[in-house]
Amino acid sequence: MGTALQIKNLHVEVNNKLILKGLSLNIEHGEMAAIMGPNGSGKSTLASVLAGKEGYNVTKGYIKYLGNDLLKMPPEDRAAAGVFLAFQYPVEIPGVATSTFVRTSLNAQKRNRGEAELDAMQFLKLAREKAKQLEMSEDFFQRAVNVGFSGGEKKRAEVFQMSMLEPTLAILDETDSGLDIDALKIVAEGVNRLRDDKLSGIVITHYQRLLDYLQPDTIHILAEGKIVKTGDKSLALLLEEKGYQGIDGAN
Amino acid sequence: MKNLQHKYYEYYNSNKGFFPGIDINWLNDLREKAIDQFQKDGFPDKSVEEWNNFPYKDLTNNYFEPLSDNQAEIDLNLIEEKDPNCTIRLIFFNGQIVNIEYNQLPKGVEVNSLTYFLKNNPNFLKDKISSANKYAEERLSNIIDSRPQSIVAVNTAFHKEGAVIHIKKNVKMPGYIELMHIGEYNKNTMQHMRSVVYLEEGADCEILENIVHDNVSDLVFTSNVTDVHVSDDASLSLHRFIRGSTNQIHINNIHGSLHENSNFLSTSIINSLGQVRAENRVNLLGENSSSTIDILILGSQNAVIEGLTRVEHSKKNTKSDQKARIVLGENSKASFQGKIRVNQNSDGTLANMSSKSLLLSDKARVNSKPELEILADDVRCSHGVTVGNLSEEQLFYLRSRGISEVEAKKILVNSFGNIILDKLSDNLIERAKKIMLGYYNE
Repeated sequence: MGTALQIKNLHVEVNNKLILKGLSLNIEHGEMAAIMGPNGSGKSTLASVLAGKEGYNVTKGYIKYLGNDLLKMPPEDRAAAGVFLAFQYPVEIPGVATSTFVRTSLNAQKRNRGEAELDAMQFLKLAREKAKQLEMSEDFFQRAVNVGFSGGEKKRAEVFQMSMLEPTLAILDETDSGLDIDALKIVAEGVNRLRDDKLSGIVITHYQRLLDYLQPDTIHILAEGKIVKTGDKSLALLLEEKGYQGIDGAN
Repeated sequence: MKNLQHKYYEYYNSNKGFFPGIDINWLNDLREKAIDQFQKDGFPDKSVEEWNNFPYKDLTNNYFEPLSDNQAEIDLNLIEEKDPNCTIRLIFFNGQIVNIEYNQLPKGVEVNSLTYFLKNNPNFLKDKISSANKYAEERLSNIIDSRPQSIVAVNTAFHKEGAVIHIKKNVKMPGYIELMHIGEYNKNTMQHMRSVVYLEEGADCEILENIVHDNVSDLVFTSNVTDVHVSDDASLSLHRFIRGSTNQIHINNIHGSLHENSNFLSTSIINSLGQVRAENRVNLLGENSSSTIDILILGSQNAVIEGLTRVEHSKKNTKSDQKARIVLGENSKASFQGKIRVNQNSDGTLANMSSKSLLLSDKARVNSKPELEILADDVRCSHGVTVGNLSEEQLFYLRSRGISEVEAKKILVNSFGNIILDKLSDNLIERAKKIMLGYYNE
């Protein structure tokens, strides 16, 4: 195994307000970690900082991914290094077909890593295969990125992108929000299909339901900008029963 | 400026014998009336509403020679080859026709230069070249304001050449016709082209007016005015690609009359570094006629580019759509003025207009002005205007997938223009995309 991601004493300000206040977290290769926590505890901030969004000011601490100082890398280099964020609110891009977008992304990453790019035929073959697994019809390849997609379609499209880009660190930011039970199952199965000893994951969620499908290795409670409790899946069950009030340090 | 007006007037009167068609009475009258009108109105200044976005200082502060000895020969081998989808190409160099290319002229299609028609079939052109005032604005007060049209008056008085396209009844023209304009004009000269497009009943035709960027950046003033007649059940696409260098002033007018059940589509892509104004004035004169006018402005450096559309609904159940997309970088400026006028009794009108601008620099400026004048009751009209910068959210989304910042910006700029390009026919879409890509790589 070995540590894939190391976050140490992370302090992050957004608009001069301190949101993450000394967050530390280690994730092993192949580990799926769930992060739960009350609204406003900093879960989405963590996701954004990991992916490299602007406007997040790291005042203290560091993030190392596969030995690299992640905070020094622009978002595109992080992606090429294997970081993938499934957005809580996937962004609409009118005028850009989904297949063009995914192919451009995949080949940009490959170019960045010095690998051979996929031609149109190779790409289409792969995309068809992955779309089928996610029970997505192919006509969405030609639709503009996320434009006119339902909530479920958007999340499914995120998992589709993830399966095409084959990251080594997947961050799922409330990927279960807005999904009905059937869509949730398809999305979770899609994620499970990608799991192997190389893929580490951070699953941000409010609900036990997604964790039932994903069976994370560890569960971390984030409150007031820090990890206040770490445990196995029994922690999620305790949470479901007693709420954050029932967990030491989480209120 | 009064002096300049007078100088042009004097010039016309001492040199009118040198303009083609002097022996054709109706054309002579048209020219005379036009120069009189220009003598009265002069170039439009800031007091003319449609002209008050940006000053045309270079135009109004300089004298441009109407008949100069511009070079008239060009090495045709230097010109890019005719596009395989293009059926007929006319090449104009410095305002003179230098070549007409086609493999076989389709039956029922007549295409040639204006001077050819004036010599061989002048009666065909009678009433098809309109007076400068035909498309002038009738204000709500019933007063006709001729001043916005004074460039058309200059064109009417001084034009020397142009293209004539005549498509006969029920003829569907395969491919498209390209009117290519190349210029390497002498400094401080002007050149006016007057073209006529006439589609008989049921005819169908696609045309590209391609104004090519040249490498000379001397101050010159060019204008192209095209009179368009689309008969019942006919369908015309008339597109413009307009490029130009730093000191070039180019004013381009399309004047269209649309009859029953006819369709008109016009897409203009303007990517000049100089000062350009592209107008579309369209009258929906027949029931169920429809007009779609799209403009894509790509501004950079110190370019000043204006788009003006004016669609007049004069019969029942007519449709129109106007769309402007404006991308501006560096110090460039642009305006879009779009007007929908629905005359009395034109019930069942459906008219939409939208203008969106994307500013890539802090110094870029855009003015967007939608106007509706509705005199009928049963009408559906909409208009919308937005101005913004590149979306940080979209940029981050693309970058988070591995796409570099430069590439991500390029994708977003392209996608912004794609809504205009996507409506172009298969014949032209690749050429249009090339202009778009060229713009961002500049």
